[in-house]
Amino acid sequence: MNTLTNRYLAATLRSVPAPRRDEIATELRASIDDMIEGRTDGGTDPATAEREVLTELGNPDVLAARYADRRLQLIGPTYYLLWLRLLKLLLSFIPALVGTIVAVVEAAEGKGFGAIGTGIVVALHVTVHIGFWLTLTFAIIERTQTAVDVPEWTVDQLPDAPVHRNIPLADTIASVVMLVLTIAYLPFQHYQSWVHETDGGNIPILDPALWSFWLPALIVVLVASVIFEVVKYRIGRWTWALFGTKVLLNLAFAVPLVWLALSDRLLNPALAERLSWVAEADNRDALGLAIAVGTAAIVVWDLIDTALKTRRQTA
Amino acid sequence: MVSEDVLRTHLQELRRGTVVVASLVALRRPDYGYALLQRLTDHGFPVDANTLYPLLRRLEDQGLLTSEWNTEESRPRKFYRTSDEGESMLSRLLDDLAAVQASITGLIQGVDR
Repeated sequence: MNTLTNRYLAATLRSVPAPRRDEIATELRASIDDMIEGRTDGGTDPATAEREVLTELGNPDVLAARYADRRLQLIGPTYYLLWLRLLKLLLSFIPALVGTIVAVVEAAEGKGFGAIGTGIVVALHVTVHIGFWLTLTFAIIERTQTAVDVPEWTVDQLPDAPVHRNIPLADTIASVVMLVLTIAYLPFQHYQSWVHETDGGNIPILDPALWSFWLPALIVVLVASVIFEVVKYRIGRWTWALFGTKVLLNLAFAVPLVWLALSDRLLNPALAERLSWVAEADNRDALGLAIAVGTAAIVVWDLIDTALKTRRQTA
Repeated sequence: MVSEDVLRTHLQELRRGTVVVASLVALRRPDYGYALLQRLTDHGFPVDANTLYPLLRRLEDQGLLTSEWNTEESRPRKFYRTSDEGESMLSRLLDDLAAVQASITGLIQGVDR
């Protein structure tokens, strides 16, 4: 018979453990019949009563889960936080790491810019895999009720109270990006300056002789500045020690630059052969002076600004 | 004014444990699922059928209820009865229920309104 009750029983018993199935079936059928009878005695017609009773009993899968004492959740509160922490931890570095390695290997094999695309695709694959397998593992643990020692929480795990930040992350990122671009420009201008020799070769803007010492030295100062920005962000606010370091770094960059500019050693002499304006000594002196004054003005303004911030934040 | 949803949730929480106590008391006199449902409802313990039927089986698995099939009537019915184990458990639960009631009463009297 394909009555609603039969269909309901079949749907419920489908996911009840086999050994108890018959017994539960007999009992549940009797209970349903009792309930229907209770309603028809009150004057309801049998078809409506059957519908009402089955509606009241609700979704057969839910009922079956209650009979089987089964959990209606993928990962319950016991393991959820552990799952979330592991997921965050794994996703925080593995996809990026694997993607970078693959991109580097591809690039080394001469794939060019396509290597970046391959790296991103691999990173996405790794992300999906980590999410799937970790969740599957926890779902199995949840269902088999394996006793996993979830580490007890202790007060020692409390993180440090957050420092009140006076240095916004956006500022730090902007500074680091500017520094990295500057570092990148120094070698870049050597190969690509948009000033060409008559035969089409590239003329560097800065004097190639500077590569023997001054340009590497300036790059070291810039790299130190990047580290300084990160340290500053970690500390979270300006201190006089940071201010002192900043003064040293600024001077270490500005003084050589100003000195090179004033002694006319900054620009590539080969430029004079292509740009007649640069060939005139007066123009070169004026340009050197402009670079020197500009650099000095930026450094002084920056240090005054920083000094004011430091005084405010250490007060 | 408290919203109906919040009220319903709290009432549900408050009632949850009492269904077991009520069933163990009621089944000192053997009965089958639907009849027990009716009796509990009549005595002010409205229980959902889809909660009660699985609950009876669980209590039986835990040894708090015993059961017996009665095939003499029009349809076969499974009669449950509170076991000795269920009885001793019930007395612990009733003690605790009384203790909760006493604590609440004490608290109400101790707090000025």
